[in-house]
Amino acid sequence: MTRSTILWRGLAFVALLAIIALVFQSQSAAYLSSGNLRALARHMSVQGLAALGLTFVIVVRQYDLSFPGVASLGAMTLGWLIASGAPLSLAIAGGIGVGAAIGLVNGIAVARFRLPDIVTTIATGGVAIGLSYFYSNGTSISENFFMSGILDINDRRVLGLDQPFAILAGVALVAFVLLHATRFGHAFYATGENRVSARFSGVPVERYVLVAFALSGAGACLAITLLVASSGAANVTAGNQLLMPAFAAVYLGAALFGRPSVGATLAGTLLMSAMLNGFTLLAIPYYYSDAIVSTVLILAIAGFDPRITAVLGQPFRRTSEARP
Amino acid sequence: MSPDPAQAQRRTKQVGHILNMERIEKRFGVVKALDGVDFTLEAGEIHALLGVNGAGKSTLIKILSGVYSKDAGTIRLGGAELELGSPRAAIEAGIACVQQHPELVGDLTGAENIFLGDEALRAGLFQRMDRRALRARAQALLSRFPVEVDLNAKVADMPAVDREIVAILHALRRDDIRILILDEPTSTLTEREKASLFRLMRSLKAAGIAIIYITHRLEEVFEIADRFTVFRAGRNVASFTASEARAQGISIPTLMLDRESGDIFPARDGDGTGTPVLEVTDLSREGQFRNVSFAARRGEILGLFGLVGSGIDELSKTLFGALAADGGTIRLHGREQRFRSPAEALRKGMFLVPGDRRAEGLTLDEDVVFNTTLANPGRSAGLAGLLRFGSNRRATAELATRVALQPPRLDRPARAFSGGNQQKIVIAKGLYCKADVYIFVEPTVGVDIGARATLYQIMRDLSREAAVIVMSSDCDEVHGLADRTLALYKGRPIGEPRRGTSRDDLLSAGIMGAVPA
Repeated sequence: MTRSTILWRGLAFVALLAIIALVFQSQSAAYLSSGNLRALARHMSVQGLAALGLTFVIVVRQYDLSFPGVASLGAMTLGWLIASGAPLSLAIAGGIGVGAAIGLVNGIAVARFRLPDIVTTIATGGVAIGLSYFYSNGTSISENFFMSGILDINDRRVLGLDQPFAILAGVALVAFVLLHATRFGHAFYATGENRVSARFSGVPVERYVLVAFALSGAGACLAITLLVASSGAANVTAGNQLLMPAFAAVYLGAALFGRPSVGATLAGTLLMSAMLNGFTLLAIPYYYSDAIVSTVLILAIAGFDPRITAVLGQPFRRTSEARP
Repeated sequence: MSPDPAQAQRRTKQVGHILNMERIEKRFGVVKALDGVDFTLEAGEIHALLGVNGAGKSTLIKILSGVYSKDAGTIRLGGAELELGSPRAAIEAGIACVQQHPELVGDLTGAENIFLGDEALRAGLFQRMDRRALRARAQALLSRFPVEVDLNAKVADMPAVDREIVAILHALRRDDIRILILDEPTSTLTEREKASLFRLMRSLKAAGIAIIYITHRLEEVFEIADRFTVFRAGRNVASFTASEARAQGISIPTLMLDRESGDIFPARDGDGTGTPVLEVTDLSREGQFRNVSFAARRGEILGLFGLVGSGIDELSKTLFGALAADGGTIRLHGREQRFRSPAEALRKGMFLVPGDRRAEGLTLDEDVVFNTTLANPGRSAGLAGLLRFGSNRRATAELATRVALQPPRLDRPARAFSGGNQQKIVIAKGLYCKADVYIFVEPTVGVDIGARATLYQIMRDLSREAAVIVMSSDCDEVHGLADRTLALYKGRPIGEPRRGTSRDDLLSAGIMGAVPA
């Protein structure tokens, strides 16, 4: 991608963000207040971590529909470990580890046994939801939360930022380096774009698909850790609100910037959170905002499609015109 | 209205030509792609467009099919001046184009693909395709243009030639098409498949449809074309009927290239005394090849000739660890190897330039640097896998110069390059790995003659530092390039690799299994 294309796409992103901000600001003067922007950043932190994990799966051109269920299981595992008196770090590692483990199961099923990814991950997601009821028969867990220090994760500030946002920034930086500045990142993209040629170039493609699913599961559980920390309880429905926004963020970003990447996902997440936060502020019921998010997802999928981006004109074209 | 050949001919006699393009100019930025091109087409003729990549033939047909607009010049169709603003306008004017890699829907049948977009709809809630009507329309099309093809098979299951035929019939589904443009239809076809495509082309011609046809295979010109026009550097430099050219002994390669180039193969200089790098003994794979033995040495090119189905493609993939052997041994530097994956083969010094470079060799949407450095992460990345952006770019630039990549634009996606230059990118990727053994499979399919000479020279130069094996279904290529040759016939090696096997002996060994005397 040339520098000027990136500039055009960046401008398009800023324009979209400005439009969203203007619309909500005109409806509610509180939208651009510092208090609300901090709430927006918190919301973005949770959605962003889940979307970043999902980005890897989309880069290798697979789908993961299990992560909301996996996130619920991660939340309950975290809550149960805290309630049973485990040290906080162990509890958090346990929650994220569960997510990575189910991600690995997805990866093995899809990469090794060639099972269809959509159906497989719907199924593993269902299994994860079932398992999440195991700890407490489905009642929410908040025992021991005050003592454990998990609430501090939400309340602490780092370098003038709320800690959840600082965590997102840190994870995004690591993901950025991994995906865009290491050979592993190139291998992820090569695996997604042409699996045969990647294999002939010595890329162990199965391993990369496997790792992508594991990262997706781990990302969702890290995201849910922040949500549990802010709500003060672990809930079996905790992950439900992750699915649509995460997919919409990845696809919206990919449509804006030409392909899935860490920067694109962050941009997509910011747009989604800016909208969802606005809806909350205007007290628009969740079922309407869900419908709007879903609409955005469909538009973004259409935008990710090269046949449609080709119609949109030069700055949005994914590949440069073939030589005359 | 279906075109009546007799009427079409009468019209031709009156007007002379069905299509007249005069003084056509087209610029892309500073590049003048077409510099005052004249082109005429007679009704019902098969007219080949020849020229190296970038000579202007693709630009001309893109203007004619409404994809590009011309900067200057006139287009007359049947005497009337014409402006072609869009592909749709070209089709309305009776000009249809079949792309080099036609996009078909693999899960649909041939007939469904032909009428894709205007299916015979059955009235009702879901407007389902009326399969019977569809079949009838396909049958009607086939009776106009008789050709042997099963249009009820899924396109994904079809051989390459049937897919091409489906794409052509798709272009001709309207019965007012008078000019059909085919962009390199034979580049991926075997000899036998080519024959059935040519049968279709002849029956189109008999139905009064004029065909403009781009090819890099010069021998086809005399087989199928009535006339040909040669392009060079954005101009039409010569136009002959096939019989004129034959009678006058015209050399088409000379017309295509500025320099006189009788022979595109570099001199053979392997003396066969180099140390064997790769030794293969009785290598077999059930149903594909058996008891293949040869040694590849540094300092020479070993050529394996085999048609499609001879097992050369599977053999190359077995040597590279992508397929498993059932029997026999592979020794690299004297040590027996059993590669479990291409990754392992690469690590140990093998490199495969696969036969299908778009599907197997390249990540098409990524740039040249990405593609060049992908297969050797040990060199492209350092501590913690961090990429060495600066040195990767420098190394790629160096290799791009070495393989004469045109244009040498490293930030372009591989997709944007021509066939020959895509192949150069795959070779650059191989050179970046500094392998000990290079296996080239069908290295010049879809590559024009100018770039071919460059590729052969690269392979010859490479043979001085590594063992080079060339596997191809092009007998002239194997014979012209290699120091020692071996033919594979139905998975079976015919004799042993030998020096100085004549072209005819090699050919009859490869196509009939005849043991050379």
